[in-house]
Amino acid sequence: MTSLEANPSAAGVPPATFPLAPTRWTKWSDRLNPILVREVQQAVKGRVFTLTVWVALLITVVIAVATANSFDARGGAGRDAFNAGMATLMPLVLFVVPMQAYQSMRIELRGGIVEQLLLSRLLPMRILYGKLLAAMVQFTLYVSVLAPLLATSYLLRGVDLPTIVVSLVFALIGCITATAFAVSSAAQAVLPALQAIANLATAFGLGLASFLFVGAAVSGQYSAMVSYLVREPEFAMVMVAILLLAGTVVTLSLLVAQSFLLHAFENKSTGFRILLFTLPVLAFGWVLAFAGPSARDEFTAALTMVLLVTGIVFAVFMVTEQGELSPRMRAHVPTRAGLALLAAPFLPGRDRGLLCFLGYLVWLAGLAWFCWSGTTRRQWIAEMMGIAALTAVYAIGWLAFGRWLRGRLPAGLQGNHLGRFLLPMSFLLVLLLPVLVDLFLRGEVHNWHYGHVLNPFWTIEQVDRMNTWQEAWLPAAIVTGVLLLLHARVLVGAVREVVAAGAALAQRRRSAP
Amino acid sequence: MSGPLLEVRNLARSYPRVQAVRDLSFAMERGQITGFVGPNGAGKTTTMRIAATLDVPDSGDVFIEGQSVLVEPRACRNRIGYMSDQFHPYPNLDILEYLDFFARAHGLAGKRRLDTVRSVASFCGLLGFADRPATGLSKGMGQRLHLAKTLLHDPALLILDEPASGLDPRARIEFRALLKELAAAGKGILISSHILPELGEMCDSVVVIERGRRVVSGTIAEIQKSVQHEQAVAMRVLGDAAMAERFLLTWPGVGQLAVDGQRIRFPFAGDEPALGELLAQLVASGVRVVEFARTEANLEDIFLSTTKGNLQ
Repeated sequence: MTSLEANPSAAGVPPATFPLAPTRWTKWSDRLNPILVREVQQAVKGRVFTLTVWVALLITVVIAVATANSFDARGGAGRDAFNAGMATLMPLVLFVVPMQAYQSMRIELRGGIVEQLLLSRLLPMRILYGKLLAAMVQFTLYVSVLAPLLATSYLLRGVDLPTIVVSLVFALIGCITATAFAVSSAAQAVLPALQAIANLATAFGLGLASFLFVGAAVSGQYSAMVSYLVREPEFAMVMVAILLLAGTVVTLSLLVAQSFLLHAFENKSTGFRILLFTLPVLAFGWVLAFAGPSARDEFTAALTMVLLVTGIVFAVFMVTEQGELSPRMRAHVPTRAGLALLAAPFLPGRDRGLLCFLGYLVWLAGLAWFCWSGTTRRQWIAEMMGIAALTAVYAIGWLAFGRWLRGRLPAGLQGNHLGRFLLPMSFLLVLLLPVLVDLFLRGEVHNWHYGHVLNPFWTIEQVDRMNTWQEAWLPAAIVTGVLLLLHARVLVGAVREVVAAGAALAQRRRSAP
Repeated sequence: MSGPLLEVRNLARSYPRVQAVRDLSFAMERGQITGFVGPNGAGKTTTMRIAATLDVPDSGDVFIEGQSVLVEPRACRNRIGYMSDQFHPYPNLDILEYLDFFARAHGLAGKRRLDTVRSVASFCGLLGFADRPATGLSKGMGQRLHLAKTLLHDPALLILDEPASGLDPRARIEFRALLKELAAAGKGILISSHILPELGEMCDSVVVIERGRRVVSGTIAEIQKSVQHEQAVAMRVLGDAAMAERFLLTWPGVGQLAVDGQRIRFPFAGDEPALGELLAQLVASGVRVVEFARTEANLEDIFLSTTKGNLQ
């Protein structure tokens, strides 16, 4: 802006609060996320933050006085102080901090402020990280306010140090997860129709979570549970499971939020698809690390089913995307044929989405097989794996239909949203229609018949109940084979589009001066 | 960097039941102020948002210094300063904190950031109000802050959507001076506005669109030549203008009359002797003419003569 400095019309001098030369703070803050810096500046000047800090301080003093009055040497007062402290902390970190992040994101989206941010060098994910970091700063501050109380509860021998530390770790995990959920909900409310729902759902969800935790903390169940957990041998197993679960929720929330903030032609799909392929690795890795040989197959079977259903939910979004690569994606595909081939299932597009889901099934089956010890021969485990296999066949069929349906809808995001609404509705219709026909023609819905064959719940239950697994495999295999044959051209075409775009890009780069 | 600063090529964008932009093409160069004019719903904002990488077209493309906004939106964003028609500053931040935040967001650090914030605030006349809350500003000050934020990363192209709407005359004049200085500093400015006389004063060229299509584009002089097949005449009479109006309606070569009190403006298809005859007959018929002169078509005339005012 040197060309503008010598403006004669410029008037006034900067206030003393704005430094003329970089201070230690400005140099240090240059390394921080700009959103974090701004959020802290706003929070310090804002009324809500100041008010909640003062309220937390006041409650701390009240609890401290009450504890001093009811002191007993057996540690009851210390426990009460800890429970009261946690009951104060939980609504702050599970409701106030996430709702502030939610409100901050809403302000960002109001009147196109976020568009101005997106025109800067801040990428959507950096904006979202900034929100999480600001939440963590607030968490630290609230914990600092309550720290004397927690220390007193330890000194009064009400609770031990591991319980305090683990409780605070849980609170931090809860705070980050709830904030990520809140920020994601706010970002989704970019669509006006979703605003009221997002407001209500977020406030209700976070309010309910806070209420439950406050109840558990006040009654002493929370500290008792944590105290019990830290002494159990399964502590590491549970802790890692909680961390993995929270990490998944946070990542998913951020990816969802990011997809609403990215430019329409940017890649919104690969993050989700990589997350999907990562989940079985984390889940089965956890099983291998923590589950003993006797429990490993049980965990594997149960997790296979959970991961399959998760994959189907992801796949509904994948097969209802737009068909072709955007101009931007075409300009950023790998130029080497081998890499393009490998990257193809992870790149946007409904055909590649179907391919990705098929790849995911193979990946899931392979990891489940790798994790399988074969030492447990319980009937329910075999049944569970059978159910998972038949569910996969149904999923391929329904997702292929979803891909076909999306192809008949208008191009653009609205078509995507419509596809994501119509696919589950079609599924529901196919579940209900034969039931209604039975009801009107026969007067009752009693037995399964071939009219219900598209209903996976009833059909699989029927196969399991009649133990006709052997008879079911052949038609299932035929249906899968036919579906794959019918889609072979589409799937190959989806890969070829990526390879061709990569080759064209390489050609352009070679011919560029 | 190659090609014009901004090139809109065969752009088309539709919304449900509305074709907002159809096959729109135009270009502009560095240091040029281009007015983007059209009736409400003509597709100006849609085009500007696509150029600012905030929307995507159904077909066509926009190039900023030769780079496609569809293929390289991030690279293009570094060269664009987009000022939307809405301005909602953050609460609990003063003016300099607000600018400082956006400077950080644009990757400026250390002394450079502080200097840039100060110089931009100074350029936009904000330094004297620097510690005021960004949320409580007047419309004029708000627009200055909005512009200052747009200038922080020193963009080559400014896309300004209705920047002068709601400003009082003094604020408009000051704002216009700022834009002229920016253009003199080599920035290209694409500006839409409904205040046509003002655009006419500051723009080097205009693009007039209607129903998403380009109606006419070029420098104002070029357009004046192309649209001014007829000369425009402005006159002022004393007393009842209705008498002059009745007379003019019967005279061959006189186009549609625009009557404003005692002032009458009309296009006239005829040479100078015919115009002289018209004046003589007007006076002879008893109309008390106190002003009578040929005028050049201004931006308003161009706008009115090239558009039909069709909304979509």
